[in-house]
Amino acid sequence: MKKLVVLAAALTAVLAVALPGALAGPAANPGLTATSIKIGTTMPLSGAASLYAPIATGMRVYFSHINARRAAGDRKRGVYGRQIVFKVEDDAYNPVQTAQQTRKLVEQDKVFALVGGLGTEQQLAVRQYLNQKKVPQIYVSTGASTWGRDHKTYPWTIGWQTDYVSEGIAYGNYVRANLPNAKVAVLYQNDDYGKDYLYGFRSRAGRFIVATETYEAGTTSVSSQVARLRASGADTFLILAIPTPTIGALVTAYRLGWKPNLLVNSVSATDTFLGLAQASAGSADAVNGIVTTAYLKDVASPRYANDAQVKFYKTLMARYAPSANVNNGLYFYGMAKAADFVQALYRAGKAPTRASLMRAVENLTYKSPWLLPGAQIITKPSSAFPIRFQRLTRFNNGSFTEFGSLQRIR
Amino acid sequence: MRIAGRAGGYAALLVAIAVLPLFLGTFRTTQLTYVGAFAIALIGLNILTGHAGQISLGHGAFMALGAYTTAILSVNHGVNDLLTIPLGGIVAGLAGFLFGFPALRLAGVYLALATFGLAIVVPSLAKRFDEFTGGTAGILLDLPTSPIGGLTPERWLYYLTWAIAAVLFLCAILFLRGKTGRALRAIRENELAAVSSGVSLARYKTLAFGVSAFYAGIAGSIYAILSFIVNPGAFPIDLSILLLVGLVIGGVGSMLGVLGGAAFVEFVPLEAGNVPAKVIDALQRVGLPVSDLDPTTAGVPSVVYGIILLLVIALAPQGVAGLARRLGAATRRFYSRLIPTNKPGTPSRREA
Amino acid sequence: MVAVTFTWGEFFQQVVFGLAIGAVYASLALALVLIFRTTHVLNFAQGEMAMFTTFIAWSLITNHGFSFWPAFFVTIGIAFLLGAGVERIVIRRFEGGSHLTMILVTIGLFVIFNGGAAWIWSPEQKDFPSPFSAEPYSVGGVAIARQHVGILVVTLISVTVLWAFFRFTKAGLGMRAAAIGPEPSRLLGVRVPWMYAVGWGLAAALGAISGIMVAPELFLTPTMMQVVLIYAFVAAVLGGIESPVGAVVGGLLLGLGTTLVSRYVDFVSSELELPFAFAILVLVLIVRPAGLFGRVTVRRV
Repeated sequence: MKKLVVLAAALTAVLAVALPGALAGPAANPGLTATSIKIGTTMPLSGAASLYAPIATGMRVYFSHINARRAAGDRKRGVYGRQIVFKVEDDAYNPVQTAQQTRKLVEQDKVFALVGGLGTEQQLAVRQYLNQKKVPQIYVSTGASTWGRDHKTYPWTIGWQTDYVSEGIAYGNYVRANLPNAKVAVLYQNDDYGKDYLYGFRSRAGRFIVATETYEAGTTSVSSQVARLRASGADTFLILAIPTPTIGALVTAYRLGWKPNLLVNSVSATDTFLGLAQASAGSADAVNGIVTTAYLKDVASPRYANDAQVKFYKTLMARYAPSANVNNGLYFYGMAKAADFVQALYRAGKAPTRASLMRAVENLTYKSPWLLPGAQIITKPSSAFPIRFQRLTRFNNGSFTEFGSLQRIR
Repeated sequence: MRIAGRAGGYAALLVAIAVLPLFLGTFRTTQLTYVGAFAIALIGLNILTGHAGQISLGHGAFMALGAYTTAILSVNHGVNDLLTIPLGGIVAGLAGFLFGFPALRLAGVYLALATFGLAIVVPSLAKRFDEFTGGTAGILLDLPTSPIGGLTPERWLYYLTWAIAAVLFLCAILFLRGKTGRALRAIRENELAAVSSGVSLARYKTLAFGVSAFYAGIAGSIYAILSFIVNPGAFPIDLSILLLVGLVIGGVGSMLGVLGGAAFVEFVPLEAGNVPAKVIDALQRVGLPVSDLDPTTAGVPSVVYGIILLLVIALAPQGVAGLARRLGAATRRFYSRLIPTNKPGTPSRREA
Repeated sequence: MVAVTFTWGEFFQQVVFGLAIGAVYASLALALVLIFRTTHVLNFAQGEMAMFTTFIAWSLITNHGFSFWPAFFVTIGIAFLLGAGVERIVIRRFEGGSHLTMILVTIGLFVIFNGGAAWIWSPEQKDFPSPFSAEPYSVGGVAIARQHVGILVVTLISVTVLWAFFRFTKAGLGMRAAAIGPEPSRLLGVRVPWMYAVGWGLAAALGAISGIMVAPELFLTPTMMQVVLIYAFVAAVLGGIESPVGAVVGGLLLGLGTTLVSRYVDFVSSELELPFAFAILVLVLIVRPAGLFGRVTVRRV
């Protein structure tokens, strides 16, 4: 019985703590005051996917900069004098936790919008909910094609980066144009991420495929799959994977003495990861000649060492996240995304509403300095794919060189 | 007097649960609904681990079975999701009952590992048979709606879940009170002795697995409706481990402790990430020079969660229930000193 | 899907890969067995401690100018102190708790070491140097990576040293005695608490060896050892949880079995590899409840 009394007391205590928050009435414009705007995101800060946490850090760094600097036009800090308050909640890459944290951000913290939430399954889990509540779900950090394709059905949701299907198409086109006799072996991740890429590639170059193998996201080794692909007699190896298995696949192919043409999806084909593969294989031959695509400037490439935007990025990183590894492109990715959001927020007006923000995002067209030279953000309500320019790029002797023309994918 | 007090206590608890949502926002209400769902799973786990002494590191798998049953039936076959809740329980219960047979041969760490395997196998199977389960993307359920006018969906699910929890709580008490409960505890204390006094291991162990999994299945069904998504990523090994953590935090064998355990399961992992910022904030407010910590740093939530877990086990080795018992004993001592004519408190009885 | 025809060359290559990944499982399984044997704790944090100490080695090499082998041995020393320290400071407080409590305590440690490593060193993959040349051996067209041979050889050395330690040294005998009968051992003058600490220390040191050897293969991240731990559990139980030799044999069989089955049995696609491992585990346990190398305790029911 005492136990019950203790329990009842505990419940009363919960009540007392929760009461003040519950009594505050709904604001007309949640998350918005004269001096601040509150936005949120969900990100894996624990578990295997916490590898992507730098995206949130990159966003935070950019918002800190915006909050501290005086804008060129009105000489005010923040956006029209409003400080951006950025709440990051850990979802451990578990969609149920994403659903809970998103509800917390919307119902408890009353954020104005959700920006840059990570993970296809995770963001899909809350899309319906956010659209019902008419809360902007902007620039999700995933390349599934559904964000742009289904924008009409879910008008409060929009993606950002080039989608996996389009990237797959780019590799398909490359094979058709440059390797007309190719026999392609594919290693892909056994989920919608891998299958989206493969779908894009198949639609252009399906007949070139001679063997496919899958792996699981948390696997220890892909050696066995690579040995099997090699045995198929393929002369071109397309890797559609996340970084660690990609490195493993490249090293194994090299060890087996297999020297195919290499195509690697852009998520994994970064200087950092290819550098790891090269070190592990003990030879640049393991990674030389890899073809991939790019849509952002490459922070690690000497070609962009003197680029004003890359330099600006490095200055901000040094100021707000001094211990971070600036060559990790994910910080740049987060910052570029945050910059686009700030652009949209300005265009949403001095007294923004959730609806005016969505209108601004849907019509955002500008030359973003974070994209490849010549590329720009083009968004229309009828074609909601903000980043639609990509270019093929080849890795040789430690850095990427873009080649071919800038491709407009939609 | 004691029984009347006990009934009064339960009544007070029921009233508290009933009025709580009136004072809470929608999100906190939903969180407490999750607590209710976890409490149901923990009551089941308590029957298996607390009473029959069989460790399960795989109860998330049974939750997954319940959740998938609900998702597949309600989304693909248009069955009313309320009806799918008992079906989720039955599917999971059957699976648990069948798993009880190989588990008969296993004990201690071996059983722990076999159940751990279950937690790994079920999400993988869900991926493999994607024509039914939607593969990695899983199945999206409709957003919950309330069938009763004037009641918000959040409150509707809250009352529904807690009503189910209350009924299942009573069932568990009745189940454990009779012959079956004695048989299970006999198995826990000493299998050989239990067998020699005529308890059938095969019968009671499989029964314990089945009933326990039934509870987890019900919890899983509710979990699916609440989260409106079911996919393999929603049932990681962490969930199974977390349930066991909740059981120990609540107090193994204690039926009321599950409430504390369920609250831990729901709140601590979600809130752990915010603790450092709050601590730093508080320290800075008192004027201590603490450097700013980047709240977006990976790893911080895990460290906080782990430390909280160890601290709770260290400070309350018998769980919330044990803590409450100790507090109760302390208050009794306090009162008996205040009112010397009163008899000193009798040692608290063992919880059913 | 396009069928790839069977060739002996590829078959032997798959065997080599199977044994290589099996050696990875075996090396961590060895540490699990050691701790279980000396303290009867199933240590869920074993893999994370191994990962954490591997980060220390990485830091020594990258930030403090150590070359590989000095870093290797210094790290083993640090790992021993870390393991013994964890036992003295954390585990000790929960001594006498149930199986369940101990499992949870090690899970708490798991989470702390994992989060701590991500916090201190960030979750990005790290390039961990290998002491072996990257050029593989080639035997009849089958490529054998030196790193894989290295993992296997180091694991075999570890198991031999361990066997000799338990068999011939006083400390080893003391540890065995402390595990089997703490009370009588205490009466006979064995310092039981210290034996436990040494057990944890040795296991952590073995874990560090495992981590350092596999890091060049799996790439150093805070989650490097998590899947390995699951397979290592299976390997240890297959071998009979208390037998170091069993752990090694169990690990190799497991690596070989999962690799060959997922390659040649079409039904077992990549997502069924882990379930398949557990199916083997449950089957073995049903037929031989004490594992392949464990002693069967007679239990009449």
